[in-house]
Amino acid sequence: MFDVYVCFYTGVFLLIVGSIATVIGPGVKDPIIRSLNTEIPSVGISLILLTYNHTVALLTFIAATVIIMMILLRAIVRLEEMGADV
Amino acid sequence: MVVPVPDVVSPVVVSLYIPAIFTGLLVGLIGLMAIAYQKRDIHILILTDIVGYGMLVMVAAVGTDLAEALILPGLVVELAEILAISELLMSREMRKLDKTTETVELIPVPINLNMEILETAPVFFAIILVIYGAFLSGFTGGAVAGAGILFYVLSKVTRGVPQNIWEGLSATAGVIWCLWLIGFLIFFVAPDYWMLGLFLAAFGLFIEVAYKAGLIGVIGREEFKREKE
Repeated sequence: MFDVYVCFYTGVFLLIVGSIATVIGPGVKDPIIRSLNTEIPSVGISLILLTYNHTVALLTFIAATVIIMMILLRAIVRLEEMGADV
Repeated sequence: MVVPVPDVVSPVVVSLYIPAIFTGLLVGLIGLMAIAYQKRDIHILILTDIVGYGMLVMVAAVGTDLAEALILPGLVVELAEILAISELLMSREMRKLDKTTETVELIPVPINLNMEILETAPVFFAIILVIYGAFLSGFTGGAVAGAGILFYVLSKVTRGVPQNIWEGLSATAGVIWCLWLIGFLIFFVAPDYWMLGLFLAAFGLFIEVAYKAGLIGVIGREEFKREKE
């Protein structure tokens, strides 16, 4: 059975805890760990969009998150290779 | 003054409105506080994501088709913005480097990616994704086709895509954007031609979003300049 409230509040919980984890979580001095932590709030967002039945928005959000992840990892690795202070 | 909620809005959406707005505000606040304390640029870029998530929840809380239509451009703009800022950071770092040092790979990977599948697969994948995107049309189709183009560029550009192609792509994106605006205008000025307006808007948007990958052209140009030196 699909309970709307359970789905929504799980999403809210994941979103808030995940964003706190991204800000002050363990090991976030490393930019790769910080960007991996952003996946937790994005799962929360997906649950919230699912609650509101925003199917197209959910699909686009998943695609956009994957591309943003690719861009960020590429930027981080390239900056580290150039010897920048990251 | 209290604005009455229309009857068509389901009571579930109404009951979730206040918690959703507060969640969005809280997440946005957490993200902005973190940005205020951060010193390094790449961390600020990652934390911008969190602020964007707060924005998404606040828009989604409206719970109608309008909210869905507003989330899609928000996502695409966020994507383009992160792409542009990461390019800026990298080019600034490149300028700091000495000109005589060896060039940095476009996509740094620890292993030598000299596989045959990278020669043959990208064209096939890109064509399939672009055709499927054209079939979907609109923002989603644009995102699918854009992913196809991006995949093609990322696997091929090191072997030399002509830079003129990419400059042309970014220019076309601007022209297509005007087509989209004209399509919107037709809806209001001449409602009888709604079908024309709809198609102009849908396919203009599809091509526009797909050509957001034309931003990659900036990378290509930079890389070519470095090779000539």
